[in-house]
Amino acid sequence: MDLSELNTPEMQRFYSEEQQKAVVTEMVAKVTNECWDKCISGTPGNKFSSGEASCLSNCAQRFVETNMLIWKKLQSMQ
Amino acid sequence: MDSFSSPSPGSSQQMSAQELKNKLQSQLALEYAQQFLETVRGKCFEKCITKPGSSLSGSESSCISRCVDRYIEATGIISKTLFGGSQH
Repeated sequence: MDLSELNTPEMQRFYSEEQQKAVVTEMVAKVTNECWDKCISGTPGNKFSSGEASCLSNCAQRFVETNMLIWKKLQSMQ
Repeated sequence: MDSFSSPSPGSSQQMSAQELKNKLQSQLALEYAQQFLETVRGKCFEKCITKPGSSLSGSESSCISRCVDRYIEATGIISKTLFGGSQH
């Protein structure tokens, strides 16, 4: 393959789109991993209880807020 | 054979770029799927196989089935909460 083909504007756009998707996928996977442990106790049933479902949603929102708080704190310490 | 070094002869530049995109996307999809499998296996093994017996019991395997369904559902809930979409 001609290596210059790897570096066209079209390919650059493709790379950054895939990069963006990878960041989103990784974040969803990370938060799901954390929140599953916090919200799902006992063996999994045929459906989530409303408590479990709202715990997952709350957990994701708190994760984002925690991230922001820590980020701000670290910035203020510089 | 290295899949990145075998341009089909006579293909236009447009086609090779498309082929490259397809290859990268299927590599990425495989990578995401493997990571997902690894995570779900860990979570559901922990939840469902609490006392490993001499064989997998019926209740253990149905637990694993439900656990996988719920983990996929949880991923959807988290994705929707974080990004308003429904991808995972």
